[in-house]
Amino acid sequence: MDGHSVAGTAESTDVTQPLVECHAVDLNRTAGVASAGFNPALKRVPQMDVISVPLQRRPDFVPSWKPRRIPVKCIGLTLPEGLAFQPPEQKQETQSDGITLKKPDPPKKPSRLDENGKPKHTRVKPPPNALSLQDRLFYLLQPPLESWLAGQELIMPFEPFPYQYEGIAWMFARHSALLADEMGLGKTMQTITGIRLLLRSGQVNRILLICPKPLIPNWQREFRTWAEELPIVTIEGNGARRRMLWTMPGVPILITNYESMTRDLAEFSEEDAPKFDLLVLDEAQRIKNRDSRTAQVARGINRRRSWALTGTPIENRPEELASLFEFLEVIPAHASPDLRQLSALASEHILRRTKDVVMKDMPPRIDRDAELELTDAQQYTYRTAEKEGIIQLNELGDSISVQHVFELVMRLKQITNHDPLTNESVKLERLVADMEEVAASGAKAILFSQWTKTIDWLEERLQQFNPLVYHGGVPTKKREPILAKFKEDPDAHIILMSYGTGAVGLNLQFAHYVFLYDRWWNPAIEDQAINRAHRIGVTAPVIVTRFICKDTIEERIDRVLREKRELAEAILGDGDNDNVSLGMNATEIFGLFDLKKRTTKGASQSIGPARPEAA
Amino acid sequence: MIAKDNLIAASMSLIGERFEWQVRIGKFCRRTIRRTDCPCILIRKRRRTIAFPKTQTQGENQRMSKDGHSDKLRLGFIATVEVEGRGCVGGLLVTNCSGRPLEFQCTTPVRPDRTQEILYGKMLRPWLLGELIGKTLLDRVSIKPDIIVTGDPDLLELRNHTSTPVACTSEALSEIAAAMASSGSSGDLGGRRLRFHHSHPDDSSFVRQQLHQIPGQADLEEPLERVQQALNETVRTVMAR
Repeated sequence: MDGHSVAGTAESTDVTQPLVECHAVDLNRTAGVASAGFNPALKRVPQMDVISVPLQRRPDFVPSWKPRRIPVKCIGLTLPEGLAFQPPEQKQETQSDGITLKKPDPPKKPSRLDENGKPKHTRVKPPPNALSLQDRLFYLLQPPLESWLAGQELIMPFEPFPYQYEGIAWMFARHSALLADEMGLGKTMQTITGIRLLLRSGQVNRILLICPKPLIPNWQREFRTWAEELPIVTIEGNGARRRMLWTMPGVPILITNYESMTRDLAEFSEEDAPKFDLLVLDEAQRIKNRDSRTAQVARGINRRRSWALTGTPIENRPEELASLFEFLEVIPAHASPDLRQLSALASEHILRRTKDVVMKDMPPRIDRDAELELTDAQQYTYRTAEKEGIIQLNELGDSISVQHVFELVMRLKQITNHDPLTNESVKLERLVADMEEVAASGAKAILFSQWTKTIDWLEERLQQFNPLVYHGGVPTKKREPILAKFKEDPDAHIILMSYGTGAVGLNLQFAHYVFLYDRWWNPAIEDQAINRAHRIGVTAPVIVTRFICKDTIEERIDRVLREKRELAEAILGDGDNDNVSLGMNATEIFGLFDLKKRTTKGASQSIGPARPEAA
Repeated sequence: MIAKDNLIAASMSLIGERFEWQVRIGKFCRRTIRRTDCPCILIRKRRRTIAFPKTQTQGENQRMSKDGHSDKLRLGFIATVEVEGRGCVGGLLVTNCSGRPLEFQCTTPVRPDRTQEILYGKMLRPWLLGELIGKTLLDRVSIKPDIIVTGDPDLLELRNHTSTPVACTSEALSEIAAAMASSGSSGDLGGRRLRFHHSHPDDSSFVRQQLHQIPGQADLEEPLERVQQALNETVRTVMAR
């Protein structure tokens, strides 16, 4: 500070000559510290105290979350009580020394395995019309049929085929079902097992089964085989007894025939009419005519479930299927669904399998047509009858009816069987020749004819083969022994049957030859007859021989029927070209003799004989 | 024997476990009885009952009983399914010893929240399936099972909340489940080896005592498939509403 002052003074001297003054500065100065008061504190020794801290004490903690139980809601389903079976008793054998031996368990059946090596399960699927959750769960929770029927609860004498398991599961879940498997695939067994499972699961308590009268022993036998524990009662006897049986409480299964059903139920008032949980119609084509009394009575039976069984859901017209659907209550009364609607309903309510689809390992059926030339005597008689017959028909003029033509056809067909004047028969000659081979090989054959008279005529001429006769003229009680003899007697090589009595419901798979001595009007009936032999259990190919006389009415009928095998296929689907076809209508019958149909009615009128009545 | 002129009426009914003809005795009416139609003929005369046993047949061993639930041993089959975004659904099927269903209960979806997921950690599934779902189902069924079978090892936790033995058919165990499951087994049943909760060593011997009531060919995992299917059907139906 002081230095700056000196320099400034020297610069200003050049102008004003300032006075120079000198001051002595004392450089020896000392620094002092102002007293703040804390210095002594720094020099002071700090005082220290010891405080006791409890180390065991937990820190304070307030939880912000507590375990909370999540509310859980439940949906419940209690399954209905069913009829239970007592478990099989442990059969024990006691030896003379008092030691009790346990009978060894039967060998386990090998279970079917899927592609992953796991046991294959056939499960019951809920039907599409089961809307409520409870209904759907009921079906889903049922055990697979393989384990249900594997002896855990229900003893099965034989292992069903896979397609039979599927059929049983399908029927079990349906209130309206038409099982239309081809003949011989086991409709009876599937139905009995379905009934058994329904009873077992408490779905039904009272069942009515209606079948043609000759098939009642067959059903009784099948029930004994497949469901021995089920009590069945057959409605028979006088009127009072039948009425009592209809209304008897606590009977699980009633069996009756169509005639008894029609007759007996008409006597019940609406209030007293018996009620059923399940109504089963065997050979349900019996109600194909929806206006028939049988169909009306069947539809009027009070029931919750309806099953129909037939191998030929369509015999002549698609309308027959509508009648079955009306019985199943899937279409309104008198409804006339078109082909498209019928097809849609069929896919929903009909289950049909054919042998070529499900039984690939089954020995084949070999059809061969034996085209025969009439003998001279037959030829003469035939031509004479035909010529005279056509002349007579022409003379009838406008009064001609299908019945007139039909009578001529029948007469000519009988002549092809044998000449009534000379008893010559080309068919018999061929039959005897074939039968000699059959008998020599120890095999057995079934012969079908339309006429009982022909059968009796043949019986006299086939004595060397020990023929047995089975037709409507044989009393019902004698029929079962005849079938048993045919099966067991090695010398009985042929059984002569009528289409009406022998074509349905019989199991004759031990016969490997079938002769159709004359042709029925409808190949579906013929197929039914053939399938008495060609069915499950057959061990060898079945050779079917159709006798057709050349240049006769038989050849013309055969040609017409062959051309008509396709309509049912259009409705029932593929793989069904063998066993369903159409019968002949009036126009076609007139066409056999180049006659024009004179009536305006009945373009689709069937003029063949009535379906062979199983009587 | 009963004189023919004493018979007045006949009726057929299921009585207890027998299918019988009942014939009342009187003076004025006659009725023929076919013994072949029924396993037993019961004739009552003035309050006296005379029973004629039928000849033993092959079907005698399988007579019906009216009570379909009369089997002694009842099995419970419990399973769960995950519903994406909605949690877990459990179902319990009670069957008789042959696998015939008697009762089914299932839950609505149960979903733990995020806190529970964090805090329960590895124990979340056993807690959710065993304590929460399993115990609720077991409390709800009216027909109580004697043995509970599951294919999910985490459901072994249910055993800590019930006195009913719980058996697991699964061979593969998670870390937690392995800690719960005992190393021992009750032997093979239907080709399955059963595991039990280690805290309840008596379960194994109890189940072993009951094995004679379960058919040897029974597949214990099959009913669990049914439960799974039923749960899927329930979820599908409920979601569609």
